[in-house]
Amino acid sequence: MDNSTLPAVAEELLREIKKAFQESSHGTDTFSSRLKFIFGPSAVPALDLVDQRSVTCVRSPSGRTLYQVLGSSGKLYTCYSSCHFCTCPAFGFSVLQKSESLLCKHILAVYLSQAVGACQELAVSEEQLTNILLAEEEEEG
Amino acid sequence: LCRGGLAERLCRLQNRERSAISFWRHQCISDGKTPSGTSGVLIVKILEIFEECTIQVAICQQLEQSPVTLSPEDAVVNAEEPILKVLFTRETAAYLKSRPQDVIHIYPPWQKLLLQNADVPVIMNTYFSQKVPLSEHSEAREKTYGLTKMLIRKNIISLAQTFRLDDLDDKLCQEPSDNQVACAPQIHNNSDSKQHPLALSAVNDSLLEMVERQGAVGWREVQVRVVIQRVYCLPAREGYRSHTQGNKPLLSNGGMFCRLCLLVQDAYGMFSEVQLQSLSSTDDMEQYCRRWEGKSCCLAGMKILQRTTRGRALGLFSLIDSLWPPVVPLKVPGQSQDSEMMTTNLPPPSFCYILTVQSGEMRVEVDEEEQISNLYQPPAVHALKEILRIDGCNERCSFWAQVLYQRLQTKHNVPVDQRDILLFVTDSALQNVVHGIPKVVAVSVTASCVLSMGIREALSAGSRLVFFKDALWGNGRIICVERTVLLLQKPLLCLAAGADLSELTGPVRLDELDSTTQANSVCALRGTVVGVNESTAFSWPTCDRCGNGKLELCPQDRELLYCNQCSEVVTTPVLKMQLEVFLSCPSRSQSTVKVKVWHETGVGVLGTYEVHSVLGKEVGLLNCYVHSVTSHPNCVALEEIVLL
Repeated sequence: MDNSTLPAVAEELLREIKKAFQESSHGTDTFSSRLKFIFGPSAVPALDLVDQRSVTCVRSPSGRTLYQVLGSSGKLYTCYSSCHFCTCPAFGFSVLQKSESLLCKHILAVYLSQAVGACQELAVSEEQLTNILLAEEEEEG
Repeated sequence: LCRGGLAERLCRLQNRERSAISFWRHQCISDGKTPSGTSGVLIVKILEIFEECTIQVAICQQLEQSPVTLSPEDAVVNAEEPILKVLFTRETAAYLKSRPQDVIHIYPPWQKLLLQNADVPVIMNTYFSQKVPLSEHSEAREKTYGLTKMLIRKNIISLAQTFRLDDLDDKLCQEPSDNQVACAPQIHNNSDSKQHPLALSAVNDSLLEMVERQGAVGWREVQVRVVIQRVYCLPAREGYRSHTQGNKPLLSNGGMFCRLCLLVQDAYGMFSEVQLQSLSSTDDMEQYCRRWEGKSCCLAGMKILQRTTRGRALGLFSLIDSLWPPVVPLKVPGQSQDSEMMTTNLPPPSFCYILTVQSGEMRVEVDEEEQISNLYQPPAVHALKEILRIDGCNERCSFWAQVLYQRLQTKHNVPVDQRDILLFVTDSALQNVVHGIPKVVAVSVTASCVLSMGIREALSAGSRLVFFKDALWGNGRIICVERTVLLLQKPLLCLAAGADLSELTGPVRLDELDSTTQANSVCALRGTVVGVNESTAFSWPTCDRCGNGKLELCPQDRELLYCNQCSEVVTTPVLKMQLEVFLSCPSRSQSTVKVKVWHETGVGVLGTYEVHSVLGKEVGLLNCYVHSVTSHPNCVALEEIVLL
């Protein structure tokens, strides 16, 4: 990780977007082209997910969190908070297998939603959070 | 893509850039030379290249001037020249085919990014880049290099990281508070509005305009006047295919989150679902329904939760469809206030905004004293008989019915108030019908239909007339889902065409068991006892005061029984028995009919529990719930029930 550049660039870009949004709440035109440059084909779909308010931060009483993103097909994907992981097939293929993308559009949508304040919040019980995580396993099994 | 959304803006920007890039490259090729001397051109010499994902990262040295005049031997790396990290997209990299020692001209609009904790600046948006041939020698070298394939190291990025968007002094609570809803109800009545300090602009009548002005200056003061078509409660669930917001856990309905919602419509016909605060008691829902439905109200300080479409929110749109077409002409946007359009041929809406309140800024002012608006469409009440004849699927329907029997779904790990309920209902019209139509209809109540405590008690206790508002009819079944409301009291205004609200006279009759009887239904049967399944028989004592079947042994005297519901010793317990009997029923003679019957000392179908006297006994019309119907073996399993 010490000699990688892209994650630091992506992080800085998202930080700048957040700052710009806090100041004027519609300053993203400046950053749109940078987003596109770094994230390529994921940029527009991710922004669309943000426009649709598709990202929810799910939180349990112990403080555990995860993100649920309602994909464009109507399927709900789970993104982890503590690392870059998403249950969508594009993540498995583009990020894990081919290392072609840094993030899938859902993880990017999570960050963008955080940056522009479009994240929804949902408080659930410990059991419910566990069920969300385990449900993904069952589907793949 | 959302109109005016971030995605759409980026798309437009992209299209402009794409045409600019291809035009520029085309020009370079046709000119045969690169434009020189333009300000803002970055000149770099590549030292090292590697790949990360599909981005090519080139560690470069920034050169002061074009080194065309220098020979390659002179262009030694000077340690004091600034180092840059230049990023190229896959497409640009393929076009450039760069190698170390190449000199690249990067034309504006390139962008520079300074990273925290890093000295080397990053150059991006390098779409307009051109390789510069150094001299004739290097051209020859190019050709030889061109034959050997260059291998570029690829960095695999670790996933064990997250991006932190906050600066150290950012207040983390700032963001969440934007999305939470005020818990204390702050609904103002008309009289309160005069004292409210917040200066509000003139009242608008278009929801779309309010939505489009989100984010612009002064949008918080925008007020929209709408008509409340429906009031209902939505549960907040997780992991389901629609997004609702939930915040702090709810109290009196067993820990299920639940929010009061309004389905509103503006003068242009556009609908919106407004999610208000959480209710502390679902009994208030009935009150809000009665006080607010049909009235006008002013919304202000709303925030867009979601823009949903027909395909994603079938339940919401089935309700919207039941309110379409509007009963009064709609306003036409962009034209003068007087012009209105007839609504007979307008297609129903295909999208709907879901709004919620900003914390501390909810302004929903309902003119309760005002008259019912002309735009309001009260629920059209039909008789059960008519509903059974409806052709379509996913149609919302409203009706009155008497609840005869209730059956809870038997999932034990689900709390009682989140289980699905099966209700069996009837009305006097169905009871009086002779042939062709069932006397009793099953209504499924899913866990997503929020029931008040009052309704739950009424469903368990006595047979009451219940009003089912906006239930769903489809595939031959009536189901109560999200946005269906069950009420005990007659709504003030409803179109009661054909509805029969008369009380049932005489005892309720169920359809008799026959060849068409299906599982999970109720029926009446008669027959002769042909066998007794003694292995299933068991008996237990019950309290003679309250009927509690779970008596305990007295701690003081273990010979006596104790009822902890009455908190007293039970001196004369009533012995209840249950056993399975086999009947021969003339109405369904081909099947083995197995009925679980109840028996109390002196009471009950069998009269006595002596096996010998039971065999051959005639069992008169018995009300039963059908557990299962199987064809191989041909068997019907039922359970005796008591109607409410």
